[in-house]
Amino acid sequence: MKTSDVIVIGGGLAGFMAAAAAASRKQSVTLLTYGSGSLPLASGAIDFFDAKIPESAIKDLPDTHPYKKIGAKALDDATKFFCEITAQANLPYVGRLSTQIPIVTAVGTLKYSALVPESMDASKIISKSKIFVVEIAGLKDFYASMIIDNLKKHFHDRTFQAVKIDLKLLGGRDITCMDAAQLLTDNEQPLANELKALNATPDDAIIIPPILGVAGNFSRDVVKTQLRADIFETTCLPPSPAGMRLQRAFMKYLQKSGVKILENSKVVRGVVEGKKVTGVVVENVVREKTFPARKVILATGGFYSGGITLRDFDKPKEPIFDLPVFFPEGAENWSNTELFSGKPQGFSTTGILTDDKLRPVDSSGKVLFDNLHVVGANLGGCDKIFERSSGGIAISSAFKAATI
Amino acid sequence: MSDKTQAIFTGDRCLSCTSCMANCPVMAVVKEYRGPKLVGPAHGRMHFSQEDVEESLNYCSNCKSCDRACPSGVAVSTLNMLQRAEYYKKHEHMRSEDMLAHGERMAKMIRMMPFGATFSNIGMSIGKALGVFSALGLAGERNMPAYASTSFKDMHKRIKQTSASKKLVLFTGCYINDNEPQVGEAFVKVMNANGYEVLIDEGFNCCGSPLVVTGFLDEARQHADNNVARILEWKKKGIPVVTPCTSCSLMLKEEYHELFGEHQMHEAAENVYDAFEFLEILQERGQFNENLNPINQRLLYHVPCHLKSQAIGLPAQNILEEAGAKVVTADAGCCGISGNYGFRKDKYEISMKIGAKLFERVKEQDFEKVISDCGTCRMQIHHGTNIKPVHPIEVLARAYR
Repeated sequence: MKTSDVIVIGGGLAGFMAAAAAASRKQSVTLLTYGSGSLPLASGAIDFFDAKIPESAIKDLPDTHPYKKIGAKALDDATKFFCEITAQANLPYVGRLSTQIPIVTAVGTLKYSALVPESMDASKIISKSKIFVVEIAGLKDFYASMIIDNLKKHFHDRTFQAVKIDLKLLGGRDITCMDAAQLLTDNEQPLANELKALNATPDDAIIIPPILGVAGNFSRDVVKTQLRADIFETTCLPPSPAGMRLQRAFMKYLQKSGVKILENSKVVRGVVEGKKVTGVVVENVVREKTFPARKVILATGGFYSGGITLRDFDKPKEPIFDLPVFFPEGAENWSNTELFSGKPQGFSTTGILTDDKLRPVDSSGKVLFDNLHVVGANLGGCDKIFERSSGGIAISSAFKAATI
Repeated sequence: MSDKTQAIFTGDRCLSCTSCMANCPVMAVVKEYRGPKLVGPAHGRMHFSQEDVEESLNYCSNCKSCDRACPSGVAVSTLNMLQRAEYYKKHEHMRSEDMLAHGERMAKMIRMMPFGATFSNIGMSIGKALGVFSALGLAGERNMPAYASTSFKDMHKRIKQTSASKKLVLFTGCYINDNEPQVGEAFVKVMNANGYEVLIDEGFNCCGSPLVVTGFLDEARQHADNNVARILEWKKKGIPVVTPCTSCSLMLKEEYHELFGEHQMHEAAENVYDAFEFLEILQERGQFNENLNPINQRLLYHVPCHLKSQAIGLPAQNILEEAGAKVVTADAGCCGISGNYGFRKDKYEISMKIGAKLFERVKEQDFEKVISDCGTCRMQIHHGTNIKPVHPIEVLARAYR
């Protein structure tokens, strides 16, 4: 079997980004995934840091923080490359590292993110006088009246109107936004007709759940060209069409670039010669198979995806290469009992520490493998959920590791 | 290994993350199906503890996209199949289900009659024209797979092979034996070229896949027990069992154990290989015969769902590419037919909607041939595009002088 220039392990945002970036540099890439990755569960928006500009915030971060290893240049390049990939799939993103763009959530609160799918960019709502919130008959977890109650707190002196439309989507199950988006793909006219009937003007905004198709902005384009008012999608509970669109945009790029994507491939260990990784071993039900590689990028995720496991309480493990895992010392530092307080959770800082090339290091800072790079959620040293940095760390670490 | 892979022990790992829903090809086109998460792991747990029927269970095609999407190792589709079997303990099968499940029995009957294959093929055309298919609950839009005039097992007796010390057993599967024996012929040519004598074991049954998906689980169990016992006999002799049918290999390697949980099923599975998996292992050991005419062809490869599930990479693509072919994967998802699913009258339209993206890709015709390891995938592509795909081993066989 041919040796891949790069093997990427993991099919989440970091894995896709690493595979795409490596392929863009004419590397032969094999992507090994187990499970469909996190994107169908994600909002589609990318945060870099909670309401801070990363470029300036990075200076104040501790040396162990992943952004310190990634650096401002990779962050910037990664953002541009991410936007290129999505734009190629007709899924344009707006924003950059330092922007904070509002998105309307499924309950009508506002969430601010740096990179946002164009269809969710709610910044233009500020200039509108009337806001329609459109509920779809039978669609779960989207209630126009609740959204309006919450939006009123942000947008004073506006007229709100709740509208309920029936797109005849009900079959034998409760429908989710994913169902609606799949059923409306290439069948947008019924929705367009209902929205046209609102007679909304350019001074109005129409807020709808994220049901405008599952491939790029194609369905949105069909509907939008028939309306005079701007149309905005909210976030939703998973499965999330916006996350699926992002996943498809990456898949399209990877397929076009000749990346070999192998599903259901659980990597159980690496093949190692001294400080060099020469391949990885996939275990199926009956036997093992070795995939040789010149470089390996580990994008297996943290606790939530099995990239790091914890069988004994104070001994987190990285199961493939048995890399040393950073973990806060002392049980009193593992968690903060006030879940929604202004402080991070100790256990969330668990992960692998690296050098500036994102290669794993031991506790003395010594690089363990020359051609193994760790990216995304299994990087340790910060609480990515608290900081809201997981998306930014995923794309920028992946980009750096793949292009080094 | 055993407890981890038997399906009924995997349901509790479900976190309700919805990854399976986002990747289910049936859900994407059918509003009535409540989806793998709810039907498999969630309802499955309730169902096994009390009598309760989830009607939309019959929409599951067992393509296993959900199993592959699951990050937690839940055998979602097999949980569905176990529940389907429970359902049929109390409900009657339709005649179409009975027919589609028992292709092997039917073929054996036909082979016993003189000119049986010819007459039954004519009979099928007449029957289809008269609307008999439809009355039976079969999709009238489709041709049933035509019987080959000679089954592969009969053909095999006439193939001259030189006796070799290295031997393997070909598990033909029903479709190759009865409908496309030329795939079996190609298999023999390739394995002979690699120094293997190909044996046939007349004692093997149908792998049981068509029985499992139509809820004839007790019969499937009998097939499993028989096949497993025979595979273990071959294993004792150090002779591997190899099959070019990816649904057969998945059943023998993985699904027997997922369904029934007997340890010997797993032991037998260790002696079973997909055809190209086997060839790639030879290649890795430096034992693959590379004395091939260069394959100067551009091939479009539809990777069957049941191959993706096996986690063996894409060995056919690797081997054909190293022989000079340009192999492009279709990347268009499930073909929709999923064994006998698309042959059912009430599932025909669903199967064609699922396959639409693949048909579109095939119709671009930017290649010389379409290849796919799975017999029913090939039938579906042929039906949906009028372009007849071949098994990758047929391409490889032609390249051996």
